[in-house]
Amino acid sequence: MSLPRKWIPYLLLAPTFFIITVFIYYPAYQSFFMSLYKVSPFGTSSRFVGFDNFLQLFQSGRFLQSVYTTLIFVVVTVGIGLVLSLFLAMLLNDKIPGIGIFRTLIFSPYAVSPAVAGVLWAFLLSPLSGYVSYLFLIFFKVQPQWLTTYPLALIAVMIATIWQNIGFNVIFFLAGLQSIPKSYYEAATIDGANSVDKLFNITIPLLSPITFFLIIMNISSSVFYSFAAIDVMTEGGPSNTTTTMMYEVYREGFFYFNNGAASSESVILILIMAFFTYLYFKFGQKAVHYQ
Amino acid sequence: MSRKLLVIAVLVMVASMIFAAPITLYIWQGAGTTFTKTLQDLCNQFTALNPNVKVDVLYTGNYHDTLTKTISAVQGGNPPDLVMIYDVGTQVMMDSGVVIPIQDMIDKDPSFDINTIIPAARNYYSYNGKLYSMPFNSSNPVIYYNKNLFEKAGLNPNDPPITFDQFIADAQKLTVKDSSGNTVQYGFTFGTGEPIAWFFEQFLAVQNALYLNNNNGRTGRADKAVFDSPAGVRVLDFFNTMVQNGSAINAGAGWDNAESLFLSQRAAMLIDTTGDITMMLQGAGSNFKVGVMFLPHPSGVPYGGVIVGGASLWMINTHNTQREQAAWDLLKFLESADSQSQWSAATGYFPINRNSIIKLLYQGYYAQNPEFLVAVLQLLMSTPGPATSGALSGAMPDIRTAVSDAFSNVFSKAMTAEQALQQAQNQANKDLANYNSLY
Repeated sequence: MSLPRKWIPYLLLAPTFFIITVFIYYPAYQSFFMSLYKVSPFGTSSRFVGFDNFLQLFQSGRFLQSVYTTLIFVVVTVGIGLVLSLFLAMLLNDKIPGIGIFRTLIFSPYAVSPAVAGVLWAFLLSPLSGYVSYLFLIFFKVQPQWLTTYPLALIAVMIATIWQNIGFNVIFFLAGLQSIPKSYYEAATIDGANSVDKLFNITIPLLSPITFFLIIMNISSSVFYSFAAIDVMTEGGPSNTTTTMMYEVYREGFFYFNNGAASSESVILILIMAFFTYLYFKFGQKAVHYQ
Repeated sequence: MSRKLLVIAVLVMVASMIFAAPITLYIWQGAGTTFTKTLQDLCNQFTALNPNVKVDVLYTGNYHDTLTKTISAVQGGNPPDLVMIYDVGTQVMMDSGVVIPIQDMIDKDPSFDINTIIPAARNYYSYNGKLYSMPFNSSNPVIYYNKNLFEKAGLNPNDPPITFDQFIADAQKLTVKDSSGNTVQYGFTFGTGEPIAWFFEQFLAVQNALYLNNNNGRTGRADKAVFDSPAGVRVLDFFNTMVQNGSAINAGAGWDNAESLFLSQRAAMLIDTTGDITMMLQGAGSNFKVGVMFLPHPSGVPYGGVIVGGASLWMINTHNTQREQAAWDLLKFLESADSQSQWSAATGYFPINRNSIIKLLYQGYYAQNPEFLVAVLQLLMSTPGPATSGALSGAMPDIRTAVSDAFSNVFSKAMTAEQALQQAQNQANKDLANYNSLY
């Protein structure tokens, strides 16, 4: 007795689909409904308010500020993160003794839990007793207050996020670099190309599929997973300057118990991410060009 | 006939199981990991007296997380019997409709004397004369100071500052710079976010000033914030003067950073909760002597006092009279003079039972540990009234953020104290309207 072949894929997908439905689709559907209600903290009373939650969001400085912060956060962490990762990946692509150790060390931040990474950075940057603050005092004779002043707090959180993501990016870039045939570089050398020419005419174009994938992955991870570092290092402060949209959703929902407002914020977040996913599928293949 | 007998037999069996079976009560606490053992030890003493009731104490994350988890647990139909909820969660719990007000149990139990609970703690957790939760780990903020650094700076460690001006002057004397002008030791440190917003509330009470209208929400639901007042400006200026003249360091969000600056002797004075006295004394160890002083007070302003902070134990309605009775017996045990003495000595939270304070005094405990007496005296000498009863509203968590932001805006010189407080008050009014629209 055997199932018809065409059922097998569905059968194999069923467990994943079940989990996604329970943990993602259903809550997303719920939050869409909840965004139209005002709900008491214990959920014992709720009132339909239509789009009032959304209207209030756009009138509240806090939410608009979080959108602005998220924009800066994403552009800087993804931009600098990827450039730095590519640079490190090229260094790690060399055949030097002990390269395995370097690769492991570079990858290791990714294996650290984001909350632990946040604690680590908060400790390093702590005023007076932190190592980074100490080194700044010795070398530059200044005492920057990393976690309590704007824009240093935002910079500190972005550094922690970039540091955390670098391992992931480097591994992908490294795989991409190793798949580029050596003969291209040899041919270029014969034609008299210098290393800058090779970087811009061979390496970067041939890495574009991976770069595009990493951009999309990094955008979603810096929007969604930046939470732990922010919570541990600054709690969104000073004065909400490190509150990203994701952190704002958390504050509204789990700090202030405004479930309606938190839901409407997450609906907006879902729409934005849906837009990026659409871009990925629409232009994903076309945007990548090979020379 | 035999069927009827069978039914009766089964009923009797079930009933006897219900009434004799040992039960396990669950307590969720959010005061800190180290307190789980202390509380569990107390509960084990209760079990020794009541062998049928076992108690399981669980640390459920900080106060915020504990409230969040309680909400999920109630909605999921599996709540704990007793839960520790922090001061500003009080109104949310009162409005929740899922708790049994302690007053209901007290009214049914003539053996319990509510007047053993010190009045300040009783007032904080009461509304319209009805006590909602059992005060348990009550604290207020104090200033910890490093007596050795006081001596080094030529200050008398036995004569710490009393007024704002003296405090600011001493903080400057306690600030040490190296040859190139960088500060290596600050006079004062504090945590921002939740902590500084709490200190603000307390310093308003110190000046006997109100935080919310309707007598801090005690004579009706508060719908307007009133902290944008000369008293409020004085508090902001107090912190800001020291931040701007370089004698205070903003240690960042939360409690830990400020505590570590103080314990590593990088800051000579620290504002923090009395709940950590034991931790501070142990942390300082033999490195330096810790002193504890009252909150300073602006001269020329009538004295108010401090508000009961910390948390209380709430009884969740489990719709099971046997569990509820056991939970009530446990609460009475935890409120008893002996339990409160043990708890206070192990932590630094002050006893909320008057007999416990009296006993500790007779035993010479406060003579040997004057640090612990400061917290008790500071509270008991407070002027009774709405300002020192503390503000009551479900929007308090939001409002605390607005107040903490006001401090940040002043420290960064983006706003004057007046502007920052006005902005915070406008935000608070919106938050109050939003919360009140639910009820």
